Amino acid sequence: MKLKLKIKGKEYQVEILEEGNGVKIKIGNKEFFFGEKEKEEIAVAQVSFPKRNFSKKEIKAPIAGIISEILVKEGDFIKREQKVLLLSSMKMENEIVSDFEGRIKEILVKKNQEVREGDTLIILE
Amino acid sequence: MKVIYFKTLPSTSQKAKEIAKEKPEPWLVIVAEEQTAGYGRKQAIWYSPLGGLYFSVVLPKSKIEDLQTLTILAAFVIAKVIKDYYPASLYSQPIQPKKDNLSFEPVIKLPNDIYLNNKKVCGILTENVIGASTSSASVRFSVIGIGLNTNIKEFPKELQETATSLKIELGKTVNNSELLQKIVRGLKEQLKTISE
Repeated sequence: MKLKLKIKGKEYQVEILEEGNGVKIKIGNKEFFFGEKEKEEIAVAQVSFPKRNFSKKEIKAPIAGIISEILVKEGDFIKREQKVLLLSSMKMENEIVSDFEGRIKEILVKKNQEVREGDTLIILE
Repeated sequence: MKVIYFKTLPSTSQKAKEIAKEKPEPWLVIVAEEQTAGYGRKQAIWYSPLGGLYFSVVLPKSKIEDLQTLTILAAFVIAKVIKDYYPASLYSQPIQPKKDNLSFEPVIKLPNDIYLNNKKVCGILTENVIGASTSSASVRFSVIGIGLNTNIKEFPKELQETATSLKIELGKTVNNSELLQKIVRGLKEQLKTISE
């Protein structure tokens, strides 16, 4: 499979090939081979994809904890600064408010669920 | 120090959060003589009759990684205020510690409770409002709620084994507003190092 990727204005030719037990990815004239035991992080670090995706509207867990209450539902239109859920963490109660406004596409967590820092909790449209 | 006094409130923290949501004013203190819906973690009821000291403080913004420190610092400050306050008052009015409680030693059960004589005398609940998005999160404000059993003469039966007050342990009435001043001043001093 061949494809073109444009990252930060620069175009990359990417080719994905099956080889033996693994997958070979050619980017420009660099080759990356992923065997069964190989760690994939290597490639990600080397091609340095942009870390932030500004087009996505997601609410992520600012700290690890347990979701103690979900105050919105899928399909709701939420405003900026609206309280969306409560997260109990380190014996504190945390009200999570949204940095965006928009319609809730998906809620990925349930009440009493444990979450880690950085986990996506809610996706907005 | 700006202090707003209420005769009675459902909860001082609830009130402080309401006010801070409109305009977070660091070091605003909300005090109530009694609470009708005082709460601790997981919405546990905090027994708040007349006589106790119930207050909430709007804190300056802190970094996410410093949040956990807030409660611990407050517990440390309160334990120290309780401990320091009483030896000094011994000079004016002798204290006869009740029972075998000869050493008046507050114990912090980390991070958010203080015990005297193996019974809870103070509870602390930190509540944070945090704005979250795809790539960042920032603390809008924090409110620390403190319930200190000061001049509570006696507790209902179901709490007698687990809760105590300064009055019960010391056998004398303490000065709520003096304690409040000392605790808030101590908090300011301690949090200076971590807040913006």
